[in-house]
Amino acid sequence: MSILQVTNLCKKIGKKEILKNVSFAIEKGDILAFIGANGAGKTTTIKCILGLQKMDSGTITINGYDIKKDFVKAISSVGAIVESPDVYQYLTGMENLEMQASFYKDTNFEDIMRVVRLVGLENRIYDKVSKYSLGMKQRLGIAISLINNPDLLILDEPTNGLDPEGIKELRELLLKLAKNGTGILISSHNLSELESFCNKVCIIQKGKIITENSITELKTTSENKYHLKVDNASHARKVLGKKATLLDDYNLELFADEEGIAQSINLLVEHHVKIYEVIKESLSLEEAFITIAGGEKIV
Amino acid sequence: MFNLIKAETKKILKKKSFLIVTIIFILYAILINVLYKNLNTITSVTEYDIADLQEENSHLDLSKEEDLAAFISNLTRIEIENLKNEYNTYPQKFLIENYLYSPMYHLLESRYYDSKSDKLTTLETEYNTTLELIKKGDWKYFVNANLTKYQNELSQTKDSNEKKRFEALIDLEEYRLANNVIYDESNYLHNALEDIKINLTEYLNLKNKSSLTSEEEKRYAYLQEQIAQDKYILDNKVDILNNTNLKSVFANFASEFGLFILIYIILIFGPIVSEEYNKGTIKYLLIKPYRRSTILLSKLLTGLLFIPFIILLMLALEFLIGGLILGFSSINIPVLIYDSAKNILVVYPIFKYTILSLLSILPMYLILGILAFTLSTITASTSAAITITFLFYLLGNVISNLALVYKFKIFKFFVSLHWDFSYLIARTSNPYHFSINFSLVILGLYIIVMLCLAFLYFRKKDVKNI
Repeated sequence: MSILQVTNLCKKIGKKEILKNVSFAIEKGDILAFIGANGAGKTTTIKCILGLQKMDSGTITINGYDIKKDFVKAISSVGAIVESPDVYQYLTGMENLEMQASFYKDTNFEDIMRVVRLVGLENRIYDKVSKYSLGMKQRLGIAISLINNPDLLILDEPTNGLDPEGIKELRELLLKLAKNGTGILISSHNLSELESFCNKVCIIQKGKIITENSITELKTTSENKYHLKVDNASHARKVLGKKATLLDDYNLELFADEEGIAQSINLLVEHHVKIYEVIKESLSLEEAFITIAGGEKIV
Repeated sequence: MFNLIKAETKKILKKKSFLIVTIIFILYAILINVLYKNLNTITSVTEYDIADLQEENSHLDLSKEEDLAAFISNLTRIEIENLKNEYNTYPQKFLIENYLYSPMYHLLESRYYDSKSDKLTTLETEYNTTLELIKKGDWKYFVNANLTKYQNELSQTKDSNEKKRFEALIDLEEYRLANNVIYDESNYLHNALEDIKINLTEYLNLKNKSSLTSEEEKRYAYLQEQIAQDKYILDNKVDILNNTNLKSVFANFASEFGLFILIYIILIFGPIVSEEYNKGTIKYLLIKPYRRSTILLSKLLTGLLFIPFIILLMLALEFLIGGLILGFSSINIPVLIYDSAKNILVVYPIFKYTILSLLSILPMYLILGILAFTLSTITASTSAAITITFLFYLLGNVISNLALVYKFKIFKFFVSLHWDFSYLIARTSNPYHFSINFSLVILGLYIIVMLCLAFLYFRKKDVKNI
């Protein structure tokens, strides 16, 4: 049974179709990158999953419980940050955590201290949240979303306001959680941050899912980019044809799969072009995403 | 559910606004108590301007009959005031005013009208004897003189009503002697005795009259109440009319501090839902394992539980502040309410009276609180909830007053005519002649409609994207 199963989710606001037949699933240990431009329907999808907005049709189940019919059972195994970590500013971090923890059965002080340590807020947890930086609020938000040991963790733009060190820590934390079986849905603008630790990607554009794949699948279906340093770049460009792009007198770029690059090198040698360097540049998730979205940069 | 209520309570108490209003309340309470401490208790005595009277006298033509009369009257007043200033203590001051005025007037009159010398001597002797007695402070002499006078008149009169009057007057004088009540206007027993004495004749006349005009009826009811009150004071020896004490502040608690209850209630209910939407915290709240109606219900219950809490808080603060400023001793003095229908004096211990008077206007606070709660839920705007609720309160007062003048049927269904039950405590009838049950039905309907709107709306409401 999937931790999260979204099936044919549709939502209209007024006459505008915000979501059209959105379907995807998250299994135990999945980290799913949920990618889309502003207004594509990411946050609306997340809000429907959490029951914060009503859907027009479709079903969402969490651990097999329907979010509409069995809301309390479904939601009790979910932790989430939506849009931004909005907590009570006039309370301390600790008071916020204690309050959120009190809403779940069987949470105790040990659980609270565990999540505080997980996000590294031990030193500032007794300060008022109004004195926190955005990054610290983000950490507190993550701590709150983990307080009930959720099976499904939903993080909407969690890297906002985190410094590189914080992002690295978050990455390690999420990998650890996933290893223990938590399903994670994570949306972010910063796609390159996601690629290093997500195992699934789901791209949404104008309310429609355009692809749902594993990351490795996404990458291998595309050609790779190669960087070549030669003695006469313009000559080489003529030999290789339109596949190559001239960078300057000595450097050019080439898109090709593995067979293609071997042929190209052969061709250059035959035409007496001296090759100094051939560097394979791995295709980033963002570039793969652009390729799939039809070359249109939508983020 | 219990955890939700606990969390809501914490949210309200931790907000700065709650603390700020409490601090303002404390300052306000200090001012009110200081004000009560300085209220002028002694019924304002007519002040005479001696310089004015002297000025007037200097312009009078003593050869004219009426000018001479005015001159003598002014002169008497000047002399009396001078004597009162000389003997600025009780009982002298009171005796000079009440027992020396007439001898002084007659003496002066006979001087200026060239009376015979033997009459003048008699008057002079009388004046001097009275003055000597007054100087000595021998107030009992005057009481005994009154007693003898009343007893004589009692033995002579045959009219049964007159008999009653003299018997009553004799009782008063005997009470004065038995309880050593000096003629002293700062003594509440003295004031009660004198008050009955002043009102007694008029009261008995009205009582024996066969038919009364509506004016007379009002006057009679008033005198009845006054005399009943004075009698209670004399019988129980408690100073219930004194309003410079803590008991008096508590007796007026609802009117002095009622606005603060309203402020607290609007402050609690106005932001209770809307702020969660505005600050985005609603998202965390709604993804907790509770149904939406449970979450809203817990907010409602928390707010409602706060009403008795803030009232008790205000009472406790006022008790401390008022006690420090005015002293605690008056707290044993009860509040007296005269029930004119039954012609009885109802005695309330002070705290019972305060609580009952607050309870009697609780429906108003309940309606306004639930209105703020509903508006907060539906509009998701704290300022709208607060402003509209306050305007509704003002509008309610206006309509309540209009309804006293214009008897439009439509007013009957307006809630502000039903949310004040203080007439039950004051032992008067409902100003609009509604039955209690009808009022309760109207109140119930308003509450049910408002709550239904709030709950239906909250269950359906989408959390909009920022």
